Amino acid sequence: MTHDRWTSDDAALTNALRALYAAPTDSSYWDALEARILSHVAQARDTGLWWGELVDMARPGLVAAAALILAATLAMARSHQLDARNAYGSVIAAPSTLEASTRGASLGDGDVAIYYLLSR
Amino acid sequence: MPTRPDGAAAERAIVLAAQGGADDAFSALVRIHQRRAYAIVRAIVLSHEDAEDAVQEGFLHAHRALDRFRPDQPFGAWLYRIMANAALDLVRRRKVRDADELPESIPMPFRDPAESGELRERLQLALSHLTSRQRAVIVMHDVEGFTHGEIGRTLGIPEGTARSDLHHARAALRRLLQNIRSSS
Repeated sequence: MTHDRWTSDDAALTNALRALYAAPTDSSYWDALEARILSHVAQARDTGLWWGELVDMARPGLVAAAALILAATLAMARSHQLDARNAYGSVIAAPSTLEASTRGASLGDGDVAIYYLLSR
Repeated sequence: MPTRPDGAAAERAIVLAAQGGADDAFSALVRIHQRRAYAIVRAIVLSHEDAEDAVQEGFLHAHRALDRFRPDQPFGAWLYRIMANAALDLVRRRKVRDADELPESIPMPFRDPAESGELRERLQLALSHLTSRQRAVIVMHDVEGFTHGEIGRTLGIPEGTARSDLHHARAALRRLLQNIRSSS
């Protein structure tokens, strides 16, 4: 391929690239960068430790809160269940009274006997 | 690479000490590798300041991942891969490429390629028009002298892709700098 290698015309560009990307040569620069890197690492490590301790401290509280929420949910569910059962019981009991009163009002004993005979 | 074959055993001992939590051992690793790390990230990002930030982040990632490094592997290759990823992350975060502001070719009267500060500026602009990976490949190869295999391992791409990226990066750079060369 013709473009896989720089031509002699491109040598100047290569030089310019090298100049553009040349790393600093001053050793004090590298000492400073090293100090900056190590400080950054130490700071991040300290933050990580602090956060870890906070999580450790918060963990028992989180467990207790979760237990409380669970207990409250169970209590609410049980209460709801009892309410539902009571409501159902009252609904089941109500029709028998109604039926008796309705029947008593509309049909006499003679009518009942006639209905009985016709239905046979 | 900074570590010569006879220095590999010594470096392995330093790595093991750093993995054991010795801060001075990690400092030694920073001292050994920071120049090469800088060169790699500088090839990916667009400015010296970003290169410093990326090196700093790269070493932080390496420190956090040190437990997972297998000492039988070359430490430099592992570290430089982390550095390249840190630099690529930084490029993505800062969205340094704004193609709308860059013309397809850069007209510029040009006289002395070796000495001109204008070439430097134009070159910088042309490089910013390449993708971060193309830029990394061309700088790592032509400036730092990495082989295609080393570039592939560092950037996490196949060797053939590194070779192809180099070809396309050069073609793009030639096109972008066409006007400069034709007027010299």
